[in-house]
Amino acid sequence: MGKALDVVVVGGGIIGLASGYFLTRNGKRVAVLDKGGFADGASGACDDMILFQSKKPGINLELTFESLELYKRLIVDFDDSMQFKNLGGMVLIENGEELAIMEQFVKEQRSYGLDVELIDQKDARKKQPFLSDHIIASTYSMMDSQIDPFHVMRAFEKQGSALGMQIIRRNGVIAIERLGNANWKVITADGTAYEAPAVVNAAGAWAPSIATMVGAVVPIVPKRGQIVLSERIPPIGETNLWNAKYLVTKLHKGSAVTLSAEEVELGLSLAFTRSAGGTYLMGSTREYVGYDKSTTIAGIKGIINLTLGYLPKMKDVGIVRAMAGLRPETPDGKMILGEHAGLDGFYTAAGHEGDGIALAPITAKLLSDLVCGNRIERTLDELSPNRFGEATNE
Amino acid sequence: MSDETENRDMLICRCEEVTLGEILDAIDDGFVTVKDVKRATRAGMGLCQGRSCSRTIARIISQRTGKPLDEVLPKSYRYPVRPEKMSAALSEESEDESDS
Repeated sequence: MGKALDVVVVGGGIIGLASGYFLTRNGKRVAVLDKGGFADGASGACDDMILFQSKKPGINLELTFESLELYKRLIVDFDDSMQFKNLGGMVLIENGEELAIMEQFVKEQRSYGLDVELIDQKDARKKQPFLSDHIIASTYSMMDSQIDPFHVMRAFEKQGSALGMQIIRRNGVIAIERLGNANWKVITADGTAYEAPAVVNAAGAWAPSIATMVGAVVPIVPKRGQIVLSERIPPIGETNLWNAKYLVTKLHKGSAVTLSAEEVELGLSLAFTRSAGGTYLMGSTREYVGYDKSTTIAGIKGIINLTLGYLPKMKDVGIVRAMAGLRPETPDGKMILGEHAGLDGFYTAAGHEGDGIALAPITAKLLSDLVCGNRIERTLDELSPNRFGEATNE
Repeated sequence: MSDETENRDMLICRCEEVTLGEILDAIDDGFVTVKDVKRATRAGMGLCQGRSCSRTIARIISQRTGKPLDEVLPKSYRYPVRPEKMSAALSEESEDESDS
């Protein structure tokens, strides 16, 4: 016995809820299943950025542009701002080595259509009066935007539900079987079976275990990101902030810029963003610790040390909370989106690492177009779940 | 909660100024634990981090849904348990259990 459905979405984070909404809007009967509560996973333990500046020219940057446009349309359709803000962003530069690499990076991004520039110390301090004296320059882009993840997820849920989307929580998927009639049968912990011709694996860091249920391979690894939240304070500057240091070591492996032992061990880099609640989110770590979602004193201290290095005056501000989320990381830093070879109707939409909020609308739209057989303007081979060849689940 | 219509404007979470009405609406939308309601409404996300309101919210959920209190309350609390200055947090002793 199964319920009459067209698509079962496994995972009710921002990707699952956005996908459920877009599919429902396209006329599909959809059930979204989640093992936890609302925003229990990475989508509820992250910052709220639609961030352009961290992205190398390529598909991730292109999709971020498209996603921002979709968000702007959804804000109108839903008649709900979802706390969208456009504060712009700065990547802080500490020395000549970083500056040289960032100059090149900014040039590449500009050639790709990103409105970004380098500004000197004086202009940086105009936008951010509390910056440490040792910051010699900064990038600035007014395009970096943000939207409240909780608000977005509740809006997708509300709008989808109004069109008939079902959401079932605290009831994880334990098995997926292929039936003789080519339907998939998705069985949850309470024994309910959901039957549909299409299944979407939107389980984020847990996508590999869902894929295993059908014999597929999804090479995603959980990467823990810890974030510290300040008390509510007035804005201390115009923009959100990142540091160049970590980015530079990723862009130029052999550069003279080196990270401290603590920065390497915790994968620390600065992300200092103002939340919808008027608090600051300070991050973040990048740690490979399996599925352990705990926050640690070492992580919290690392983030505080890092933040005070750039914004010494923050020392008198209170912290009220720390949180951690498991970012789903893929081997090549691109999401996994598409139908699995040899498994008709089984799709994965996961692996967004730190860009789930930014890329949710475009992911959901593309996924919905794939499932519905709509024409898609771009090729998605780069994102295909079949691109990894003989990869195996960890 | 028989007279709830008259009390919908009552503040339940003072830090984030969330009313009883907003909390009841969230419960009716299917958000049925203290954590769900927090993420859906911001109740409990402010300075006191739910130390004043989370038990009240638990009771509201329990009354409205019939779920027992221990099913709707959060299972754990983590550091920091009260607001602490950033500079003071640096002298916190490391007691990480999960460090490998």
